[in-house]
Amino acid sequence: MRERGPRFPNNATKPLPQSDPVSSQPAWIADTPLLSIVLTGRNDGYGGDFAARFFRTLQFNHEQLTSRGLAHEFVFIEWAPPADRPLLFDEIGRELPNLNRRVCAWYIVHPEYQIALSLNPRLEYLEFLAKNVGVRRARGQYVLTSNCDVYLGRCVLDALERRALEPRVLYRAPRHDLNLPEDLHEVTWEMLEDPRNLAGPAHVLKRPYMGSGTGDFVLLERASFHEIRGFNEVYRVARIGIDRNVIVKALASGFEIRDIGGPVYHQNHEGSYRLNPKAYEGRETEAPWGDRRWHSSGVSYVNPPTWGLANAPIRAVAEHCYYVDFSWDAVPPLVDLRGILVPAARAGLPAPGQYVRKR
Amino acid sequence: MKRFLRRLLAVFGLAPASAVASQAQLVAESRKGSLTWKNRAGEAMARVKALEAEVKRQTHLNDKLRTSTQKLRLRHDEIEKLLRERLVEAEHALIVAREQLMVIDAKLDILEGAANVLDARTRTAISKQRNETVAPI
Repeated sequence: MRERGPRFPNNATKPLPQSDPVSSQPAWIADTPLLSIVLTGRNDGYGGDFAARFFRTLQFNHEQLTSRGLAHEFVFIEWAPPADRPLLFDEIGRELPNLNRRVCAWYIVHPEYQIALSLNPRLEYLEFLAKNVGVRRARGQYVLTSNCDVYLGRCVLDALERRALEPRVLYRAPRHDLNLPEDLHEVTWEMLEDPRNLAGPAHVLKRPYMGSGTGDFVLLERASFHEIRGFNEVYRVARIGIDRNVIVKALASGFEIRDIGGPVYHQNHEGSYRLNPKAYEGRETEAPWGDRRWHSSGVSYVNPPTWGLANAPIRAVAEHCYYVDFSWDAVPPLVDLRGILVPAARAGLPAPGQYVRKR
Repeated sequence: MKRFLRRLLAVFGLAPASAVASQAQLVAESRKGSLTWKNRAGEAMARVKALEAEVKRQTHLNDKLRTSTQKLRLRHDEIEKLLRERLVEAEHALIVAREQLMVIDAKLDILEGAANVLDARTRTAISKQRNETVAPI
């Protein structure tokens, strides 16, 4: 087994031009697509054949967006990749040779960040810190944070095509879990929209939080995402609930939460939290996603201005592929208690969740 | 004959003594009855007066009670309004307290996590240092 560490030695690549200090948008990228889809993952076999699910989804979403003439980019954060397995970046080149690399911005993040940032050693993957790296660097007018096995639905594509999106509105879409064959090669609308493939009753988004599978669809104007400084980076004790927490932050910031009008589709797989949310009942602190009882719907946060590893040194390692080197300058403080606060009182803001005694 | 004599006497306004005596007794009895009735009437009048006074007193009392009830009702409404306000305040205070508790709880989670992480890092650093110190030269 290879040792953990950077896959790209510092002297092997050319340094990147200086980033824009305000937005951290790399100066070498000029275009502004309508949509940036921020995804994160690594080649660790999560939920079975992760890479195959991801490539299938990526291809489908790319084809649908392209067929409607919607300018888009995929911002992929390969977070702390395991040293003993090939990079997803290398695999995608082999699996999807026809994919235009120009629609991708690939960031490989040094594994040291996972260790340096973690406040809970049981968390194997700081998913939302990874997504923040992408949100921070996304170029699109609108930024969608989603997951690697989520297919965009027709209503989502329609809304994008109609240019019906508004700033300071956080769009949500319900997730439809599907039972699809594991060895699927191609996905069609018929498969996605066939009610017989639904793994359970179709979810309906409920006000005010419109939660349930939030991590699968958070769509926000780029400037608005920057205004709230992405997902919570202060509470790094759990992964679960961070997606719900961004809704609280958005509401407390005066944003509206709106249903985009139709679902996204998710292929069920082993290891999915959805399939067995009570697996760690009675020993919640041992869960690999953290304690699900934390008050994600009752507290707000203020990330440091350097959110999304803004101060991390980045260098190009291939076309549209960048390596995020480790630097303590990019790591926020271990403890920032002022960054956790009561959500601002706003008319119509929901009452906080019930206090759950943990201790 | 007796009847003739009685009629004759009656012509002159006279009557036999026995009749006069009985008539006199009747008059006396009537007078006595009249006095009794007069007394009873007086008593009744007094009773009426007393009852009228009682009615007046009761009316006054009723008015007083009505005023008092009205005052109490107003006070009741005021207290109810006050209690409602207090309840809203208490509910608000409870929400604020609950929010603060949640924030404190989240901060405690962070502190606990940081303490665990630092503990692990310190242990690793110390054992690494020890290994270096005791390494054979």
